[in-house]
Amino acid sequence: MEGIVLALFVCLILALITKRLSLPSIPFYIIAGLLLGESGLKLVGADEVSLFLTHLGLLFLLFFMGLEIKPDRIWSNQSAILSSGLIDLHINGIIGFVAAYALGFSLFDAVIVAAAFFISSTAMAVTSLIENRKLLMRESETIVWLMIFEDIVLIAFLAFIGTSTEHPLLILVKIIAVLGIILAITHYGKKYIISVLKRDDELPVLLTFSAVLGIAALASTIGIPESFMVIAFGTILGTIDPIAFELHSRPFKDVFLVVFFVFFGVTVDLFSGGISPLAIIVICLVAILTKFASGMIIGKRIHGSSISGVEIWANTISRGEFSIAIAALYGSAVVSGTIASMVIVTSIVGAFAAKYSGRIQKIILRNKPGPPVQPDIHSETGSGG
Amino acid sequence: MALRSINLPGIGTKYELETEKKDTVAVFFLKNGNIQMYTLQHDCRTPSVAELSAVEARRLGTILTGAIMEADKESVEIAFSALSDLRISVHTYIIGKKMGGHSLEDLQIRAKTGVTIIAVSRGDKNVINPPPSFLFQEGDAVVAIGETDQLKTFEREIMVA
Repeated sequence: MEGIVLALFVCLILALITKRLSLPSIPFYIIAGLLLGESGLKLVGADEVSLFLTHLGLLFLLFFMGLEIKPDRIWSNQSAILSSGLIDLHINGIIGFVAAYALGFSLFDAVIVAAAFFISSTAMAVTSLIENRKLLMRESETIVWLMIFEDIVLIAFLAFIGTSTEHPLLILVKIIAVLGIILAITHYGKKYIISVLKRDDELPVLLTFSAVLGIAALASTIGIPESFMVIAFGTILGTIDPIAFELHSRPFKDVFLVVFFVFFGVTVDLFSGGISPLAIIVICLVAILTKFASGMIIGKRIHGSSISGVEIWANTISRGEFSIAIAALYGSAVVSGTIASMVIVTSIVGAFAAKYSGRIQKIILRNKPGPPVQPDIHSETGSGG
Repeated sequence: MALRSINLPGIGTKYELETEKKDTVAVFFLKNGNIQMYTLQHDCRTPSVAELSAVEARRLGTILTGAIMEADKESVEIAFSALSDLRISVHTYIIGKKMGGHSLEDLQIRAKTGVTIIAVSRGDKNVINPPPSFLFQEGDAVVAIGETDQLKTFEREIMVA
């Protein structure tokens, strides 16, 4: 228990500093965890309480992501989402897998590394677009749709990669049955749920909290993928009143997610389990380069310009919350260490690349003056604080 | 003038307006409640950006609808588009030396300008619909209602003249 308090206070201080410097806070939470835990001073260790809280962090991260997913909106923008998303998936998924497999990871581990490698951080991309004041750029819409596509891939991934030994068809039948019941309850009880959410006592928060935990518990009891069910649950509740559910689950997400990141760092042991520093360096470098390749191709294909490609790259380098989630769910010690390092490196590189993308464009494309692109923001004029 | 709006998941709602002169104005209502406003000149590649709080954005909106607004005077314009674009402005003023000591009756505000004084605030007391005999004091805050032109006449002929 003291360990959690210590870790939380360290994170509080880090949050104050990183927000002030407009840096992403996720890598620093993980670094703090590494320093405090197994790999570092061994001041903090995981116990039952921390395990429970990190589990809550993961559940609320996924629930929140589910709330953001609007099937009708995705449907009406499917061409925008698919055109860039498929390029992103092919390049990063395949190269990530090949790189991990070549570096000696087992087949299953290589798939996990590839998934974490592919999925950029939605939180960091959105924050950097807002803070660097790049929302007007036409690339920013492409980036947002790209993040949605990656989320959908993650959902499919979570649905299919289970640890269960049951027949996939049986699991599928159970998932459909549970989703059907949830849909029926939310459909017929919509008015009642809305009236509960409008109250100003403890009921709305209690409802949100226990509903999320309830779905997770139900899923693990009957043997269907818990993470997938929580996302799907969020998406269904998002059709009732997404703003209310966001409001009532946000405090849980904010606090438990920090616990989740810091304890992910605490439990990772970088110095045992045979993680070679070379493998980590290679993965980090390849992670930055493949997003460059996919960004450039998407930029050329959709906006007809390499300048756009650099901008898309700069904002999608960062791997973050979802990579860590994948590592926490499926990662062996070696995989978790590798993914932790990749998240730290790419998110810090990504933060600076997004901030100075204007300069990077000039350097990279010095010899290839493209047609004037508009709107294109030189971020140094708008570095928000 | 082309107005486009789109909802960007995770970010908020975007409204983008291209003016006849090919300049772009875009407004983003962010999920954190703030508003980012981008303006981009047609031949320029770098937009300028202002981030506004909700209150600031409303103030800016009031100015853009064409109502008068000065540092210590505030106004709101209400447009009823269903009533052949009827526009009414509500404006606050601080009574100066000139009007102090006079009553509504002898100033003849409505007869001369068409403006109606609907409320007076003095210290922490408010008088709604002041009677004709009501005596103004210097420093009173008054709320006046009328068309923009009528309010301008009121400023010119009663407040200052």
